[in-house]
Amino acid sequence: MGLKMQKIKKIAPIIISLIIALVLPIFVKNNYYVTLLDQALVNIIAVIGLNFITGLTGQVNLGMAGIFAAGSYTSALLTTKLGVNCWLGLIASIIVGIIIGYVLGYPSLRIKGIYLTLTTIGFGEIMRLLLTNMVNITGGTQGVLGIPSLSLFGFELNTPRRMYFFLVAVVCLMAWIAIRIVKGRWGREFKAVLNDDTALASVGIDISKVKLNSFILCSVFTCVAGSFYAHLMGYIDPSDYTFDMSTRFLMMLMLGGIGSVPGSIIGGSIITILPEILRFLKEYYWLVFSVIILIIILVLPYGLVSIKDLPFVRKLFGLNKNSLGESNE
Amino acid sequence: MLEVKNINVFYDQVQAIHDVSFEVKSDEIVSVIGTNGAGKSTLMQTIVSLVETKSGSIIFNGEDITNLPSHDIVKRGIIYVPEGRRIFYDLTVAENLEMGAYALKTDKKRLREDLEMVHEMFPQLNDRMKQLGGTLSGGEQQMLAIARGLMGHPKLLMLDEPSLGLAPVIVEEVFDIILKIKKETNTPIVLVEQNANMAMAISDNTYVLEVGYVSFSGKSSELMYNPEVKEAYLGS
Amino acid sequence: MESFLQLLVSGIAFGCIYTLVAIEYSVIYQASGLVNFSHGQWITLGGFVFGGTMIRQFNMHYIPAMLLSLVVMGIFGALVAKGIFNPLRHLPNNLFVVLGTVMLGKIIIELCRIIWGASAFRIEGFLSDTVKIGGIVFPEVYIWIVIISVIFLVVQAILFQKTKLGKAMRCVASDQKAAALMGINVNRNIIITVAYSAIICAIIGILVAPIFNVDINMANSISLKGFAAGVVGGFGTIGGSIVGGLVIGIIENMYLMIGPAIYKDVVAFVALIIFLLMKPTGLLGKNQQKRS
Ligand SMILES: Nc1ncnc2c1ncn2[C@@H]1O[C@H](COP(=O)(O)OP(=O)(O)OP(=O)(O)O)[C@@H](O)[C@H]1O
Ligand SMILES: [Mg+2]
Repeated sequence: MGLKMQKIKKIAPIIISLIIALVLPIFVKNNYYVTLLDQALVNIIAVIGLNFITGLTGQVNLGMAGIFAAGSYTSALLTTKLGVNCWLGLIASIIVGIIIGYVLGYPSLRIKGIYLTLTTIGFGEIMRLLLTNMVNITGGTQGVLGIPSLSLFGFELNTPRRMYFFLVAVVCLMAWIAIRIVKGRWGREFKAVLNDDTALASVGIDISKVKLNSFILCSVFTCVAGSFYAHLMGYIDPSDYTFDMSTRFLMMLMLGGIGSVPGSIIGGSIITILPEILRFLKEYYWLVFSVIILIIILVLPYGLVSIKDLPFVRKLFGLNKNSLGESNE
Repeated sequence: MLEVKNINVFYDQVQAIHDVSFEVKSDEIVSVIGTNGAGKSTLMQTIVSLVETKSGSIIFNGEDITNLPSHDIVKRGIIYVPEGRRIFYDLTVAENLEMGAYALKTDKKRLREDLEMVHEMFPQLNDRMKQLGGTLSGGEQQMLAIARGLMGHPKLLMLDEPSLGLAPVIVEEVFDIILKIKKETNTPIVLVEQNANMAMAISDNTYVLEVGYVSFSGKSSELMYNPEVKEAYLGS
Repeated sequence: MESFLQLLVSGIAFGCIYTLVAIEYSVIYQASGLVNFSHGQWITLGGFVFGGTMIRQFNMHYIPAMLLSLVVMGIFGALVAKGIFNPLRHLPNNLFVVLGTVMLGKIIIELCRIIWGASAFRIEGFLSDTVKIGGIVFPEVYIWIVIISVIFLVVQAILFQKTKLGKAMRCVASDQKAAALMGINVNRNIIITVAYSAIICAIIGILVAPIFNVDINMANSISLKGFAAGVVGGFGTIGGSIVGGLVIGIIENMYLMIGPAIYKDVVAFVALIIFLLMKPTGLLGKNQQKRS
């Protein structure tokens, strides 16, 4: 009986969020807002990826825009310039993701902490500058136009609404994979890197492999997200893929709660959608948004998923320490 | 002069000090002994407020100093020479010594006199004044740490495991220095030590800490013959 | 040859700016172990306070306008240290400070936009002359950049080597707990250090205003390249910052002799990554372990 209750308690939030996700488009009439929801879903995929590096192993990656751009441009260029099938384009993006994982992960074996963060920033900047300036290939500031929409067994995902349901399915799949990884052996190894490099080595785990894995996972997820983004928007240009974008992913990760997959989902949704909600504030909206996020970091550094750990919230709901089930460190 | 009354100290949820009381009278050497992890350093750090006192009080010269900011406590004259020396690696030996006098409103002349005194007491530092602290040997670093403490004109000097990791000859030297400080400046000293034999030999009173509790305390000359203390700490 | 010398001139001028940037953020890093990811916006804010308020609004003379801007920025720095750095400093992971300062940067930019307007402007007549010697053009602003940088480095050296405050700052940078045991008020010391850093940011903002105009994006590239300079030189040493700044400034300008100008900005980052891979702690960096 108790066990069953616990299981229900665990599954209920998932079911409820799924139902909300599925009925949401019924209430959102304007296609512009559906596109926004699509973007939130795409961002969630990338944040789940970022969680592997920054959330679990604690290495701050601020080059996300570069990785995301690589995914977008691989798909966009292959499909528009070479007429490659979009799914092959996606596979190419994944391969690019693996390569980037090695490219960024390799330095992480030697470079640590703030130096690593700077390296990732450098990577993002190099990527953006290359995309802007290699006009022959990337179209420069003009960007890439006319990226075809995805099609699934002949069914065109050519409206934001169709894309939405597809992306919900993808997010579910990616989140499921991520949770399996987080809870599995790799997840434990990632967290061990966060806590102490040396202890890991002494139990015979290959730290370089663990770090590489985390980077590869991150950049594969991010490239997949980038690829979907290109197909969703139909048009991309380098001005999207700035340092600002990288920091936005970090915001999503931390607002939700570092290390937690549900946190990534919450953070990805809020950071994508909140600015739109605040639009009524006109020229103050971005200011108010930034202030809100800063206050949350100061008050709730472990993100919204840690709200249940705040003393007054605990009292309010009569929680005790052990009823939290799967806490996220 | 220092009275610690029934203090409790926690690291997060874990209690490290249980209801410990502790007293140092002016002009005495008090030794604190105990095995690794007994809470000796925690007790010292609590006195200088590097660690928070959860309950209980710490009185210094009649004034309640519990949980005052560390720098205020230092200004009142409690100087703690921490475990592991913690000299400033990026500063020269001379600068390290000078920083020892940071809390005092000293003029140049007084500073020079104090440096003279240090030179006399620690001749091995004399040729090394321009060297960076991080380049000193372990023994020299320990001497520098103690010397730096003296530069602050302590009203109470607390030394945390000054003999740790030093060769036996150097340990002797360190203990000689401690006795000399006592003799020349008449400063009360708290001496935290694993080397219980030597610590008890030079101290007036001794406290024995065990997993956060005071298990024995009293005159060193008497505790030395306590069979349990002998068995556990004096190794004979 | 002429173009070589011309490029060397701009290389040195920009190198000085990168050096100042490297120093400005490494003093905070040294003191608190935190990296200020909003330093570019602090520089911008300095430029706006000087150009937008002191000059345009109050019509002040350059010298008092500069001094007053430095004071304003110093106060700003102290407030930020109290409100953001000191609380976040105690959290176990530097992630929090990274995001906290990133958000602070966004807030500053939005405030600049609201207070001073979105369009860039130039400060008429401020360091806008050029001097020509033997075919080589020396913009007035470059000359001042070098002069002010040298003066600043001397002041910094005196402050850190000779004064009690500066030595205390070095103690805090070296070991915070030990510093507290010397009777140093660590929190206050960090506040002073951050204020000092904000003042350097203001100096940079004023010096680059004639080059980039006063604009919310004016510090984007120099702040990132200053990071690179600090890392290339090795975090935290003045010598390292000078070497790193000049290396980045000169390399990226010399590159113009062999490659297309559009990739000039890439050079600094490629240099950064290559340097890091060769020597993960920077050119002059020590393998120091920080103690908490
Ligand atoms: N910063 C800290 N955080 C959490 N626990 C701590 C911390 N410092 C000490 N402890 C714990 O408190 C207990 C007492 O440690 P303390 O350093 O005071 O012992 P000690 O008697 O000085 O030991 P030693 O002789 O090895 O120096 C130990 O169990 C230790 O693990
Ligand atoms: Mg100890």
